[in-house]
Amino acid sequence: MNKGKIFKLAKGFRGRAKNCIRIARERVEKALQYSYRDRRNKKRDMRSLWIERINAGTRLHGVNYGNFMHGLMKENIQLNRKVLSELSMHEPYSFKALVDVSRTAFPGNRPAKEGLASIL
Amino acid sequence: MATRRCLLRLLSRRLVAHGPQPLALASIASRALNTLAQPLAPHCPRVLDSPRLFPSRCHFATRSSGDEEEDEDDHYEKEGSEDEWGEEEALAAKPPSGKTAEEKVAEAAEIGYAVVGPLGDDEKLFKPYEPVFAVVQIGSHQFKVSNGDSIFTEKLKFCDVNDKLILNRVLMLGSQTQTVIGRPSLPDAAVHAVVEEHALDAKVIIFKKKRRKNYRRTKGHRQELTKLRITNIEGIDKSETAAVAA
Repeated sequence: MNKGKIFKLAKGFRGRAKNCIRIARERVEKALQYSYRDRRNKKRDMRSLWIERINAGTRLHGVNYGNFMHGLMKENIQLNRKVLSELSMHEPYSFKALVDVSRTAFPGNRPAKEGLASIL
Repeated sequence: MATRRCLLRLLSRRLVAHGPQPLALASIASRALNTLAQPLAPHCPRVLDSPRLFPSRCHFATRSSGDEEEDEDDHYEKEGSEDEWGEEEALAAKPPSGKTAEEKVAEAAEIGYAVVGPLGDDEKLFKPYEPVFAVVQIGSHQFKVSNGDSIFTEKLKFCDVNDKLILNRVLMLGSQTQTVIGRPSLPDAAVHAVVEEHALDAKVIIFKKKRRKNYRRTKGHRQELTKLRITNIEGIDKSETAAVAA
């Protein structure tokens, strides 16, 4: 019956929403609406997470995300952000190679040395 | 009365065209009825009408062989019928064009950046893990793969379970001593994979609701996926210590 399906979807809900059909039905409908919306939001969230990770990885090498991506686009390297974030986490030497490639292609406004060395 | 005139005219035309073929009266009448409907198409160009008639053609006729149908198609096209009729008859009679020509099958597989090789033998393709990775693109998705990984991709046509694939759109290779970056892809690199299964994803429930408007829709969806097992990566030097070029 539909009630059984509703209770199955309502597992883990708080208070009476997992036990009483009138409340559970409302909460489950809201949950399904949120899941529809969030399936679209997940793609956006994941992309911003990847960009954060790439930014962190490139700043270790003295390049910021914008200049890094600009250099990659100039070199016609079509790696996407998902793969770049995985490389920045798990393959540090390959990622450094990519950063060097991007730096030669587009120097950016910062000099190639580390931040402190340029000041001293 | 006009319909009867048309029927007689068509009957006479059809009999002359087919000539010595022995035709049952029932089949003549049914074919004539079907042919009768088609000349009406130019007068009232509704595409919806003509496809409805084609399934009925099969039910009426007491035909023994399919050759008569193909002859009819040829005759229609020779008589200078409109392009609309010719295409729809071709769709009804012939199977989809992609499956007939093997060249088209190969092209479609290359669009998905996978070349289907021969089926797997009894040989063991599965080597132990090597610290080498490749970034491969299948369709619009990119994966960072290594030996022994399994990846889920969109359903790949033209390959069955236990087929060997070669993924030829490789964007980057890396090992312990070398990193090779393609711009955008590497022409000499290849990644070998085996199709493990064609499966359906877990069900997602698509639920739409507008509150206070009495509108609620529920739909279930299971995406078709292919699971690939990566067996080998080619195109990079896999040695663990750098060979120093003096």
